[in-house]
Amino acid sequence: MALSSREECLQLAEAVLSRVPDGADAEILVEDLDASLTRFALNGIHQNVAESGLRLRLRLQRDGRAGVADLHGAAGEGAVDRLVAAAEEARRVAPRRDLAPLPPPAPDGTGHDAAWDDATAGCTPEQRADAVAVVARAAAAAGLEAFGTVSTTARQVAVLNTRGLRRHARTTVARVTAVVRGEDGSGYADRCAAGIDGVDVDALAAEVVDTAQRNQNARRVDPGTYEVVLAPYAVAEMLDHLAWVSFGALAKQEGRSFMRPGEKLMSDSVTIRDDAHDRAGLPFPFDYEGVAARPVTFVERGVCRDVVYDTPTAIADGVESTGHGLPQPNTAGPMPTHVAMEAGAQSRDELVAAVKRGIYVTRFWYVRTVHPLRTVITGMTREGTFLIEDGRVTTPVRDMRFTQGIVDALADVRGISRERALEVPDEGSATLSPWLHLGHFHFSS
Amino acid sequence: MRELAERALDTAAAGRAGYADCRVVARGEQTIVVKNGAVVRVASSEDEGLGVRVLVDGAWGFAAAGRLDGASIDAAVERALRIARASARVSGGRARLSPVQPVVAEYATPVEVDPFEVPLERKVDLLLRADAAMARVPQATVRESSLEFVRERRYFASSEGARIDQRFIESGGGFDATATSADEVQTRSFPNSFGRHQLCAGWEAIEAMDLDGNAERIAAEAAALLTADTCPEGVMTVILDGSQAALQVHESCGHPTELDRVLGAEAAYAGTSFLTPELLGAFRYGSDQVTITADATRATGLGTFGWDDEGVPAQRTVLVDHGIFSGYMSSRETAAEFGWESSGTMRADGWARIPLIRMTNVNLEAGDSSLEEMIAGTERGVYLETNRSWSIDDRRLNFQFGCQNGWLIEDGRRTRLVRNAIYSGITPEFWRSCDAVAGPDEWRMWGVVNCGKGEPGQSMHVGHGAAPCRFRDVRVEAA
Repeated sequence: MALSSREECLQLAEAVLSRVPDGADAEILVEDLDASLTRFALNGIHQNVAESGLRLRLRLQRDGRAGVADLHGAAGEGAVDRLVAAAEEARRVAPRRDLAPLPPPAPDGTGHDAAWDDATAGCTPEQRADAVAVVARAAAAAGLEAFGTVSTTARQVAVLNTRGLRRHARTTVARVTAVVRGEDGSGYADRCAAGIDGVDVDALAAEVVDTAQRNQNARRVDPGTYEVVLAPYAVAEMLDHLAWVSFGALAKQEGRSFMRPGEKLMSDSVTIRDDAHDRAGLPFPFDYEGVAARPVTFVERGVCRDVVYDTPTAIADGVESTGHGLPQPNTAGPMPTHVAMEAGAQSRDELVAAVKRGIYVTRFWYVRTVHPLRTVITGMTREGTFLIEDGRVTTPVRDMRFTQGIVDALADVRGISRERALEVPDEGSATLSPWLHLGHFHFSS
Repeated sequence: MRELAERALDTAAAGRAGYADCRVVARGEQTIVVKNGAVVRVASSEDEGLGVRVLVDGAWGFAAAGRLDGASIDAAVERALRIARASARVSGGRARLSPVQPVVAEYATPVEVDPFEVPLERKVDLLLRADAAMARVPQATVRESSLEFVRERRYFASSEGARIDQRFIESGGGFDATATSADEVQTRSFPNSFGRHQLCAGWEAIEAMDLDGNAERIAAEAAALLTADTCPEGVMTVILDGSQAALQVHESCGHPTELDRVLGAEAAYAGTSFLTPELLGAFRYGSDQVTITADATRATGLGTFGWDDEGVPAQRTVLVDHGIFSGYMSSRETAAEFGWESSGTMRADGWARIPLIRMTNVNLEAGDSSLEEMIAGTERGVYLETNRSWSIDDRRLNFQFGCQNGWLIEDGRRTRLVRNAIYSGITPEFWRSCDAVAGPDEWRMWGVVNCGKGEPGQSMHVGHGAAPCRFRDVRVEAA
């Protein structure tokens, strides 16, 4: 299976717009997905799936009333007509209110290839199985068991509206994740890239087996506050939570975000931004309203700066959208999708070497926001937690629960690595994270 | 649907699948959202496609197609067959299925009033009235309410001869009131957090919620929390309301009794389980007060159906019997590992995903106490209402939950409101400390609409019957 062509995708969108009632403003969002995922456990493939399908979303606005209809899959004969009729019916019963106008045409035209790789779009189940075999063989050779996924996704998105906006882009992502387990402990590693050839499966296998081998027979350490070095897998979780809870304009407008522009709340070394065009991430040029994504700096050398906007929140603040809108209308507000923490100057080993006694964390798990305004999160460490003693990673320790304010932790940054890793928290998102040395981090149990 | 499924099975047979099943799913949803007095979303959706699962030489393949013409179905089946052959390149062993009697059958959710027959205007009006009631509390600056209705037809056919046509109706609704000050944010939700409460039922379920009748009270609680004292910390008695008890059951009993987790199928993502097979029938999971069932036959639950997505009939399985760990939720493949029959808990999130072992309605069975009795019998403790945060480790042992509302209990009386309460514990220690569960009068079915599992991710609607319950010597902190 493959995605439909760019022309087919745009023609479908145009066909929907051509059926819109006269006088209505309309926006059509087309997402076309072809995704495959091979899942393995106990050194063998146990689930292996693929899906393809179209998703259409039509927004109609007229006379201060708005309606939305979605269509996923075939939905039978006359589906497009029913889509338009459903949106119009919803619009008809919606009470009047002030509606944000649809975005105007993009000055830079229609076509924008994002992070796209033909080999990934055409990746076969045999290729995915061969990647699994690399990890499974490495684990088996060490007397261990491997679990994980190999996935490849191709996706195209088109946004068109009756004001003349025409946007289209396609993107791919390849991802391999692995947990390797022994008798009494495990390790984790993942890799992702726009192209399958950019995923170094051999390096991943070596890393996860090494972590698993070192993380056996962990001992318990007392909960409390420790210096920590966090691997990028863990740092990405913290950044994603900040993005979700604090870096959107709606959260700030509603008083749910800690962001106070101009106020210095974090260490000098902390700069966090969103840049959907960064080639080190997974570039994608526009948002779900078709607005071009602009780079936004959230924190610059520890000082709070800006938040991301969609059209409704931008109107409320009298600014322009930064191109971070989710499908409209929504109550979640705009979201950063390409968050990156600026790299530092040290190596991972140099960060560890600076710690007299602390904890090295490979990965967090089940992280949830406990208090949004104070950015307090809780979660567990998982698959590779170690004691750091006299500048060296030494003994594995049992997984621990942490309860910690993110802003509070980022106000005590002792070092940031120059290497960063790419994580894909959700479809269409990418997070670039370094290793991080924090002066304090609270483990509650 | 029948013709589409027959074509898929014929193509799979021609491709030498040892077993094949096919689900054709057509789902419609209607959503209304009101925020701060404005109707921000009136939306409907249609979702239709086909998923086919094949076993070739003991290896699985699955493909899903959103186009339902003959050529697309054939292509999807061919894709599933190729994937299955690729799976065999790195085989983890030949998959075997426990036996099931194939049936030709139908099922439909019993409803009193089809929610799709209720005029949209009436639904919008209900939410606007709830919003107006919340707005009478000035500190409730962010108000959001919603209704969601689902209708789904699911046709299952297997190469063993099953042909099952099921139709489901769900109705859900709820609201959040958020109050903010310079240094605090507090949200209260009704009837449940995370957007709404939902049941397999008709419009009557929405009317029973009395959304507008509760809106002002809940908004006032959000406002009161802004200035309430922080919850005291320490080891004390905790009483959970029914909705929080439901989530506690979900996370600390539902997930660890999923047999695929126990066997390692979810080890790379959701994790495994501390409830390993050698503990079955002997391990003291909780106190004598604690009986927990997985019951797909219980009325109105989001996990209520006629047959699961492998064609296995709905069942009631006792997971914990008066405190003793006594059962698992299983599939045909995982049950076969032990020579058992499936407990009928395979469920898929739509046509584009494979079925996985999912909770049906995992219920804390009613006890013989009451909330009033529990409070009266508590010298020092806190009564916690409505979930705010939840986290548990990958073996389902170490948990921490936060709740929106806390009521201090002193000398057998509910005294004052406290905020930012969190409690934590280790699953079996916690359930062993349960000394009271409220009776049938306070037991009700709750709905959880955001249960995540699997890769690619699947979000499942599951039910939990629960009542208020009391736990001794629990660690309580403040966020």
